[in-house]
Amino acid sequence: MNPMLKITAAAIALSLTLIASHAAIIPPGVQLHPTQTFIRSNGSEPESMDPAVAETVPANQIMRDLFEGLTATDTSGKTVPGVAESWKQTNATTWVFKLRQNAKFSNGDPVTAEDFVYGIRRFVDPKTASPYATTFGVFLLNGLEVAQGKKPSSELGVKALDKFTLEIKTQDPVAFMPELVANTQLGPVHKATVEKWGKDWVKPGNMVGNGAFVLKDWQVNNRIVVEKNPHYWDAAHVTLTRVTYLPIEDQSADVKLWESGETDYVYQLPPGVFDKYKAQYPKELRNQAIIGLRYYDYQTQDPAFKDVRVRKALSMVIDREILSKRVTADGQAAAYSLIVPGVVGADPTPYEWATWPMDKRVAEAKKLLEQAGVKPGTKYTFSYNTSEYHKKMAIFVASEWKTKLGIIMETESMEFKVLAKKRHDGSFQIARNGWLADYNDATTFLALVRCDSDQNTNHHCNREAEAIIQKGTQSTDAAKRKALLTQASKMIMDDYPMIPLLQYSLPRLIKPYVGGYSELNPQDHYRSKDFYIIKH
Amino acid sequence: MWSYTLRRVLATLPTMLAVISVCYFLLHATPGGPFDSERQVSAAVLANLQAKYHLDQPLWQQYLLYLQSLLHGDLGASFRYADWSVNDLVANALPVSAAIGGGSLILSLIIGVGLGIVAALRQNSVADHLVMLIGNVGSAVPSFVIGPLLIIVFAIVLKWLPAGGWHDFELRFMVLPMVLLTFINVSVIGRVMRGSLIEVMHSNFIRTARAKGLPTRVVVLRHALKPALLPVVSLIGPLAISSITSALVTETVFSLPGLGKLIVNGAGNRDYTLVLGLVVLVAVLTVTLNLLVDLAYAWLDPKIRY
Repeated sequence: MNPMLKITAAAIALSLTLIASHAAIIPPGVQLHPTQTFIRSNGSEPESMDPAVAETVPANQIMRDLFEGLTATDTSGKTVPGVAESWKQTNATTWVFKLRQNAKFSNGDPVTAEDFVYGIRRFVDPKTASPYATTFGVFLLNGLEVAQGKKPSSELGVKALDKFTLEIKTQDPVAFMPELVANTQLGPVHKATVEKWGKDWVKPGNMVGNGAFVLKDWQVNNRIVVEKNPHYWDAAHVTLTRVTYLPIEDQSADVKLWESGETDYVYQLPPGVFDKYKAQYPKELRNQAIIGLRYYDYQTQDPAFKDVRVRKALSMVIDREILSKRVTADGQAAAYSLIVPGVVGADPTPYEWATWPMDKRVAEAKKLLEQAGVKPGTKYTFSYNTSEYHKKMAIFVASEWKTKLGIIMETESMEFKVLAKKRHDGSFQIARNGWLADYNDATTFLALVRCDSDQNTNHHCNREAEAIIQKGTQSTDAAKRKALLTQASKMIMDDYPMIPLLQYSLPRLIKPYVGGYSELNPQDHYRSKDFYIIKH
Repeated sequence: MWSYTLRRVLATLPTMLAVISVCYFLLHATPGGPFDSERQVSAAVLANLQAKYHLDQPLWQQYLLYLQSLLHGDLGASFRYADWSVNDLVANALPVSAAIGGGSLILSLIIGVGLGIVAALRQNSVADHLVMLIGNVGSAVPSFVIGPLLIIVFAIVLKWLPAGGWHDFELRFMVLPMVLLTFINVSVIGRVMRGSLIEVMHSNFIRTARAKGLPTRVVVLRHALKPALLPVVSLIGPLAISSITSALVTETVFSLPGLGKLIVNGAGNRDYTLVLGLVVLVAVLTVTLNLLVDLAYAWLDPKIRY
C-alpha cells in the first residue's frame, strides 16, 4: 500500500473508548412483568449452532444470544462494545481491541484474547468448512490463503498481544471492522469444550458460550430454549430469564400461534395480509425495513441483453410504487438503486427517471427499444423459484412489459436449488434474485455487481467502476471512501446489470408487552438481551 | 406361515437395494446441490464443504461408502441439520409421527369401520347419509383447509386447545392433529367399509346364514364382518405409511417436529443422506406393513393359505 496513505491512516486513527451502557433500556415508569419469559418464532430451524458454521438468519439470531463477539449490535442497530471495551485503529490495516477483564464463559472461565484467536482461526480453517469462511475471512490478513488451505491458520492476521489485548491485521483497510466483528463467526470459542466433545460441543449441556444466555434445550424442528447466563459480564442488565425459539416455517401457522396467545412474536407475516393486520392490530404490527434488496438479474452475456438500452427500457417501465403498495402489499418500499437506505459506506443513487411520470418513462423506453431494434412481440424468459410471492411479482412485471412495451415475458418456475444453480451457471435470461447484507457496509451490495465476484450472477463487469471501488476500499478517509463507492455504484447501475425492485422489510406481529424492539435495526440483529416483558 | 414370512423378508433385500440405488443416483442427478444457496459460496469454501462431506470423491465410491455405513446401521450425517446425524433426526421425529399417525389410524379404524357398518346396514338412512357426507367432505376438502379451520375454532376462538407445537407427548398438543388425520382416514375407511359390507351382505353365504334363521347381529359379526374387512385391511398399509411418514400438511399446519417435515426439508435442501435415510425407513415400513397385511388376509379369508 501507499506509504503516504499509511501515515495518514495512522494520524487519523480512531481512538474509541466507549463506556456507554448498552443493556436493555427500560424507559422510566415501565413496570416489568413478574415472569420475564419470551416465546418467539424464529422462521426456520437453524442449520447449525456452531458459531463458526452458522450461516442463515435463524441460526445467527440464536448465536447472538449464546455468543458475544468483540462488539455487538444494540436494539437500534448501533455497534456497541461486546467483549471488547474499547478499540483503536493503529494503522490503516491494524486494529487493536482491549477486552474487558470480567467477561466470562458460561462455565465461569474468563474470556481471553487467546479464545478469540482460537475461534477466528477455527472459523477460517478449511477443516471447519464454514460457508462464511471467505465472506468474512477475506478481510483478515492471509484470510483467503488460509481458507484455501494454502497457508496454515497460524498465519491468519489475528494475534493475542496479551491476555486481554487482541490485534487484528487486515489485507486492505477495513473501515467497518468494529461492525464486522459483531458477527459471532469472528467471536471467541471455548477450546477445551470443542476438544472434549468434538462435533457435539454445541448440544445442550455440553455447549460453553459467552453470550447473555445459555442453551438449555434443543429439539430439532420443535424448539430451542435459552436461559439467562449468570456468568455473563453484564448479567445485571439482562432482564429476560428465558427465551424460547420456535422454528415455524409456515407463516400462516406462525400467525395463528401468535393469535392464540402461544407466542409473543411472529417472525414474518405472510404476503398480502399487511393491510388487514394493520387495521386489526395497529399496535402490534411492526414493520422493520432491513438492508436487503429484491431484484431481477439480467444475464448480460445473453445476446438479448447485451444492449444497455434494452436493459434500461425494461427496468424503467416497472411501476415499483404499484408493486409495493398493491401487489406485494406487505410494507416493503420501492427500490431504484443498488444501495438501499440504511446502508453505511455509500449513498443510494436512485435513477433520475424514478421521479418522472409513467407516460414519460414509457415514451423514453419505447424510444430506447426502437433504437436497439427490439420490436414489440419480442419474448424473454424469466426464471424464478416456485413461490406464490415470486409468482405474484412476476405476473405484475410481465403485465407491465406487455401492456406498456408489447414485450412478452415467458415465466418458468422451478425449485429453489435449481434456480440457484441456473443463476450461478448463467443459464437464464432474467432471474429472480435477492440479497440481505452480511454486514452493514456498501461493499456487501457492491459484491452483487463487481467484476469477478462470486455473487455477481449478471456477469456484467465495469472495469472503470471496479478501479474506483478498489481505490475507495483502500482509502481510510471515510468521506472519500463513501464518495468513491457511491460514484462506482452509480456508474455500474447506469449499465443496468439488474432491476432493483423492492427493499426488504420484515412485517411482524409483536405483543404490546414486549419491550425493547425499536424498528430501527437495519439488519434485524436484535439480541434478547435488549428485550424485556412489560407488566400485563 | 413361518417359511412364507422368511421367504418374503429375504425377497425384500434386492427390492431394498434397488430402491436405495435408484434414489441415490436420482438424488445426485437432480440439478442443484446441497451447497447452492442465495449466497454463492466461493470456490475455496465449496471445496472445503465437499471434502468435509466426501462429495469430492467419485460418485460410485461415495455410493459404496454409503452402502457400507448403511450395513452398520449408520445413515450418515445430515447436510441441512449439520449438527445431527440422520439416525438422531429419525429417532427424534419417528416417535412424534408414529404417535400422531399411528394413534389416528387406530382411532379411524374403530370409527371408520363402525360408521361403515352402521351405514351399510341402514342404507339410505340418516346415519348412512351422514357417513357419506363425512366421506365426501373428507375426500373433497383438503387438509390444509380443515386444519386451519380446526385451529381457528378450537385454539383462537374457543381457546380450548393449543394452535400447534409439541410438548413431550402432552395430549392437548396431539388432539387437533389427530382429529384432522382421523377425519381424513375415517372418510376413506368409512366409505370402503360401507361399500364392502353392502356387497358381502348380498352374497350367497349370507343369504344361507339368514335362511338358517340366524339373527342379523350374528350374521354380521360372525359371517359378514371378516370378508367385508378385506378391502379395509388392504388400505391399512398405504394409509399407515402416509399417516406416519408423509403427514406433511398436518405437521406444517400444527408445527409438529415429525418425519414429513424432514422429508420436505431434506429434499428441498438436497440433503442426500437425510432423504436416503428416510427412503430406507419408508421402504422398511412399507415392506413390513405389506407383509402384515398379507398375513392378516390369511386370517380373514379361509380361502387364502400360505
